[in-house]
Amino acid sequence: MEAMELRHRLARFALGHRFLVLTVMALATAFFAVGLQRIEVRTIFSDLFPKNHPFVQAYKDHPNFGNPLTITVMVKRKDGKDLYQPETMKKIWDMSREIDLAPGVDHDQILSIATEKARYTVVTADGIYSNPIMDDHPPTTAEELAEVRRRVNESAGARTFLVSEDGTAAVINATFIERLVDYGQLFTFVQDLVARERDEAHEVYVAGWPMLTGWVYFFGSDTAKIFGVTLALMFVLLALHMRNVAGIVTPVIVSAVSAVWGFGLVGWIGHPVEPLLMVVPLLLIARCFSHCVQATERYYELLQQFGDKHKAAETSLVSLMWPGTLGIFTDVVGLLLVAIAPIPALERFALFTGLWALNLVPTGVFLTPVMLSLLPRPKNLDHLLATEGQGGALQRGMQTLLVGIGRFAVGRRARFTAAVFVVLSALALVEMFRIQVGNPVEGSNLLRDDSQFNVAVREINRNFPGLMTLEVIFEGKSGRIVRQADTLGTMQALQHCLESGPNPPTATLSFADYAPEANRVFNGGNPKWAPLDPDDASAAAAAGALMVGTNAKAYLHVTDFEQENGTVSLWYPNNKQATVDAALVEARKCIDQVGTSHPNFLIRLGSGSIALQQSINDTVDLYQWYILGALNLVILIGCSFAYRSFAAGLVLLVPVNLANVFLTAAMSLVGLGLDVNSLPILAIGIGVGIDYGIYLLTRICEEYHLAHKDLPLAIRSALTTCGKAIFFTASLMTLGIAPWYFLSELKFLSDMGLMLVVVMLINMVLALLLVPLLVYLFRPRFLESDISVLSESVEPAPGGLRVSVATL
Amino acid sequence: MHIRKFDFDYSRRNFMEKTAKGILTAGVLTPLWPLIAHSADITKAYPDELLSIEGYTKGKIKTGDLITADNVELVKNLLDPVAYRQVKEMGRRIRIVASTRDVTRMYPHEYLEATLRNKGKAKLDQDGNVVTTDGKPWIGGNPFPEGTSANEVFANLTLCWGRHDNSVYAVRDWEIGPDGDVSYQYDFVWVEENTVARVGAGGPYLKGLEDKLRFQSVFFTSPADVKGTSYLNTWHYDQRKFPDLVGYLPAFKRVRKFPTNQRFEPLVAGMALYLSDAWAAGDPMLTWGNYKIVGRGPFLGAVSENWYGDHANWERPVHGGPKGQTFFETQMELCPEVIVVEAEPVGYSRAPVSKKRVWIDVRNMMYVAYVTYDRRGEIWKQFEPQYSLYEKGGARVLDGKNTAWSWTGVHCHDIQSNRMTRFVQAKTVAGGVSSGYNQAGLYEKYLTEQAMQRLGT
Repeated sequence: MEAMELRHRLARFALGHRFLVLTVMALATAFFAVGLQRIEVRTIFSDLFPKNHPFVQAYKDHPNFGNPLTITVMVKRKDGKDLYQPETMKKIWDMSREIDLAPGVDHDQILSIATEKARYTVVTADGIYSNPIMDDHPPTTAEELAEVRRRVNESAGARTFLVSEDGTAAVINATFIERLVDYGQLFTFVQDLVARERDEAHEVYVAGWPMLTGWVYFFGSDTAKIFGVTLALMFVLLALHMRNVAGIVTPVIVSAVSAVWGFGLVGWIGHPVEPLLMVVPLLLIARCFSHCVQATERYYELLQQFGDKHKAAETSLVSLMWPGTLGIFTDVVGLLLVAIAPIPALERFALFTGLWALNLVPTGVFLTPVMLSLLPRPKNLDHLLATEGQGGALQRGMQTLLVGIGRFAVGRRARFTAAVFVVLSALALVEMFRIQVGNPVEGSNLLRDDSQFNVAVREINRNFPGLMTLEVIFEGKSGRIVRQADTLGTMQALQHCLESGPNPPTATLSFADYAPEANRVFNGGNPKWAPLDPDDASAAAAAGALMVGTNAKAYLHVTDFEQENGTVSLWYPNNKQATVDAALVEARKCIDQVGTSHPNFLIRLGSGSIALQQSINDTVDLYQWYILGALNLVILIGCSFAYRSFAAGLVLLVPVNLANVFLTAAMSLVGLGLDVNSLPILAIGIGVGIDYGIYLLTRICEEYHLAHKDLPLAIRSALTTCGKAIFFTASLMTLGIAPWYFLSELKFLSDMGLMLVVVMLINMVLALLLVPLLVYLFRPRFLESDISVLSESVEPAPGGLRVSVATL
Repeated sequence: MHIRKFDFDYSRRNFMEKTAKGILTAGVLTPLWPLIAHSADITKAYPDELLSIEGYTKGKIKTGDLITADNVELVKNLLDPVAYRQVKEMGRRIRIVASTRDVTRMYPHEYLEATLRNKGKAKLDQDGNVVTTDGKPWIGGNPFPEGTSANEVFANLTLCWGRHDNSVYAVRDWEIGPDGDVSYQYDFVWVEENTVARVGAGGPYLKGLEDKLRFQSVFFTSPADVKGTSYLNTWHYDQRKFPDLVGYLPAFKRVRKFPTNQRFEPLVAGMALYLSDAWAAGDPMLTWGNYKIVGRGPFLGAVSENWYGDHANWERPVHGGPKGQTFFETQMELCPEVIVVEAEPVGYSRAPVSKKRVWIDVRNMMYVAYVTYDRRGEIWKQFEPQYSLYEKGGARVLDGKNTAWSWTGVHCHDIQSNRMTRFVQAKTVAGGVSSGYNQAGLYEKYLTEQAMQRLGT
């Protein structure tokens, strides 16, 4: 009773001090609007990975091994000639020089056959000459071209990693410094460079994580377009449905205020927003729209009954305060729980969106009735509410559909419907467990298969050892371990084990590969001097020979600046999950064979693109269950408390979990993998679904009392009132989001749009059909109890009867 | 008495006017070099505002004060951009000392005498090399103490790096990573011997080596894994030619010849210093080009009171950076006038550097700061040398009959990857080699391929 009095007091205060409420809201909006200027939309690479995963820790401890902040530019002749042509050599030279001008590039980590770091060594009677493969200019004459070809062929490193086996392609690798790189600028710079150098005889491909991020930024402009289309569609649908000023203006203004608060808060907090996840705010705007429409529909019912705007608004606020807040609470919890996954970008996402969802309480719940009370009384209430058959075709159609749905949830058909659900659920469960965790494509699943980036990945993988590495890290315990015989010997043993295994990498590389060549050259050039003596003095001498007169950064891919740690890099032909799984199995087996712990170093698996990809997959695989479990627990506790019934919690949870099962099964059927991007969808899906359930269940309980415990009648009434709002808002959001699938060049956004549409539809169907069905079949005891705390009823009536405002 | 006409704005206007008109005569109130020739006291050439930090900052900073993040804005225009960032963001502190008015404290004695003695006898020939008025190699001292072009100013840096006929620098070097830890520590010996432009009693040339400019070697004495590794540079007098560069690795007992134009690489792992960076003039002068003067004015330079002769092995306290060991304790003074020169590496088709900017103190024509820019035009590395007359309290080091003047320490900061190379001229280093100047027999001992092999055993 106290709570009921509280909602009355709050409603009375809000409607009694409308201009004060509006002033406070306006001031708060102005405050958050200032924060809008501080919003930073950018990617922080290291924040995209689960911080506690051993692979990510290995990456953070040794960021330069398999450095993902590297771009690979491949120049390929497409006219059948090899690359030893003057114009191709000039292109390689020019691009190697140009890439040094890219923003954030590490000048010491640019490598191609045109850079001075790609050398060939000649031993003569006067000493050892170590010269760049290209002289001080790109070769132009036949003799110079032949000489460069000879030098490439005599340099094992260049032949394997810088020039393709068929001699038609060359790569330029450039590594970037994370704190200096701006992916948008870099992308534009590289794309301009590629456009200049591409011609009828040459194709230029660019891959690497910085470019992938650049593409995401580039297509980010689509997000604004999609925002526009979604909002416009929702507005048109709303206008067609409402056809009055209050019903159109209120959701628009309230959603705008909510958006300013949401974005403004993140601006004030100062956390950067991941561009890929910028679509979620759009979804939250849609959610606000949805809450607002629910409240507006309720207001119209009350206005029809009371005829007084002020009273209708106050009463609608009283009636929706607790169910609305409980629904928002489930949204907030769902979004915040995404933070369970220890991925910093998702943690920020959870905070950002969770707090945004929270602002729906003051905006969606409180501001809406205040706005409605101030706007003109609609003249088409009969039409909107479809009373006495006066509604338009749309309204009548919805009524008919909902009554039809209700028939499947009650009576003799109920058992048949239940049986269908059981069968469908069983099938979905089977399909759900078939879903692939991880990346099902070669390249990135964020972009379309035929995108420039994915084409580039495939082409580079086809011509070179590959873009994807798995790094097996040799972590030093003491001293400069790459100058020690045990380290070099173990690296060689590991490489041998992997190369002779059942799924060998396309190439392997370690410091141990360079040392014998240095030993040979500095001992006079005879191949017999290549093998190192198995002692530290020989290892140190070879390492010293490699490092002398050379920037230590030239070897950062195999040993760190201080030479205290090293890595064995393993290249694989692609990053499909099957390849990744096989690579990890073999790596673990060979590490066991050579021993993990040595006196001066420890072998850690691992880093590189393959390990980082796997770290996300492991986390998604594990934490989706944690998030799901936590969501269920919190919602169960919250709803059980709200309804004073454990059974009510269960009734609400069954549909949302089934929705998740159906969604995952649908993803599996269309070939989508479960990855980090699907985690927010999971949370959003459950948050949305439970909302619908709460509204409908509450209404069923209320109608049950009004209908003198005639449950089929109560269900029918609930479906044709509250169910209609659910149907409309779900349709509104679905139609608004559906264009994402067609409009976005980002496959991620298309997939997300598709998944959201599917989950919304599933949630709607389950809420409208399964919730009544469960109530009907199990007739839970909470139906009999007093749920006035939550009820949409507004006044206690003498004799225990409640005056419903929705007896349509 | 303070004459208002000669206030700070007057100095600033004077410097701007001189830069704009291409006038290179040093001195604001009166030309500098007649004063130096007369009494070596430069007081009358500059107003107080250019000879004391109190005057420049209107009393807000005093001699003896520390420049810290709290007051560095007051002297921002007197520091190179990286030094400013070091103080503002990385916890560096710089103590201000009095400006040197007696320029004999800024040169080795014999070098100053030769500069004065040979003033007016140098010219640039048609190739751009410095010759005497009768076309012979230079005969010692700064060839252009009153340089009238950027090339002439730079020639003062290039022709005699250490300003002694020969020098042995026992160097202790620390490489500091971005995390503030020491990633490498080296002891090495740097030896220079000019073959021409000598100022000692034996005359300006080493007989038979007039076509060379200098021999210079580096050999490492610690740690064990680089001990004996050495390099030998043979510089031609013709500054269009690249020096011959050979290296020696004791483990293989072989000399390695390096590509002659490969000068943008460190000598050993971990160093941010390239051969190209030595003395801000590490490459032959004419392999760079487009020399131009881009400014002049006062500057803070570490040109005095930086010798720690009272400390063990002349080493010095460190501070700042993530682990409190990135920067040397340093004293700087207000240099009344520096010339700012820029040049581009026109002779290096693969140079990762687009240009260098060098601040040169007009009193001794030695650089006090130097930054390189990457090819995007962003600052890449900063070099800050520290000099001193080698006397402190009762301690003194001679370079013959006179108190030695030399460099004492260097900061070389790769600001992009945030790696610091810092080193001091120590009394001795591992292997027992001591610093010294104008010694007999250095060529045979340190500056031949045989010497490299012998030292490496």
